[in-house]
Amino acid sequence: MERRSFMKGTFALATIGLLNPVLFHHALAAEEAIEMPYKDLIEEYLSGKKATDGSSIMTLNVPEEPENGAVVPVEVTINYPMNTDNYISNITVLTTKNKVNKAISFDLTPENGMAYLYVNVKMGQTQEVVVLAKTNKGQIYKASKSVRVALGGCG
Amino acid sequence: MELRGTIKILDEGYKVGDVVKAKIIVIHKMDTGFTKDKESGKQFPRFYMKEINVAYNGKVIAHFDLDVATSQNPVIQFPFKVTGAGELVVDFINSESDKAQKKVAVTPVG
Repeated sequence: MERRSFMKGTFALATIGLLNPVLFHHALAAEEAIEMPYKDLIEEYLSGKKATDGSSIMTLNVPEEPENGAVVPVEVTINYPMNTDNYISNITVLTTKNKVNKAISFDLTPENGMAYLYVNVKMGQTQEVVVLAKTNKGQIYKASKSVRVALGGCG
Repeated sequence: MELRGTIKILDEGYKVGDVVKAKIIVIHKMDTGFTKDKESGKQFPRFYMKEINVAYNGKVIAHFDLDVATSQNPVIQFPFKVTGAGELVVDFINSESDKAQKKVAVTPVG
């Protein structure tokens, strides 16, 4: 009898030992999930559609070499009518090489009168700022600008 | 920690029908969840300003979804069309669902 209970105990321990790496792996996966790679974000935003080059209607005012990567001012003006049936409904600012690349998503209404956004973005290294604009009809415009960062400001 | 934020209309002497810009400043950390405390080596949890809603005379005109790539103490400027006297009401919500509200009067000239 004693031998049997001893065997049971070792089996139980062995199973826990086998399960442990699995649990550990799950914990790692959860940790990784909070990173937001640029590729995933842009795929989610486009959701199968193609982005039109918006450099003709979008004006990006971003310094090429900011003093500090922690505060990079990004100013976007989009030359697009803001009528009740044809307007820009969303402006999203993304970076490309941060751990989390989503900066801001701005939902507009025709009451805004013009499509404009100013926001401060932080950057860990030299990379691009990508601005995506979506119209209420689902068309997506994209414009980007590379920014050289000497002093990173992102953990 | 108390959540502090403010809104200001940048233009002066605007009339009904003009498009003016407003500026929002929030005093808030934007911790990514990846940074470590230099002394204790502890990881700071992700803690950031999550959502900002702007309503003009009761109607939501702008909605911002922020994430941690925005700088600490975020500064945002956005436009809006003046349709009459009233007020802008801004609601701030952070990642721990703390809330704050701030108002500013819209007073067009003439």
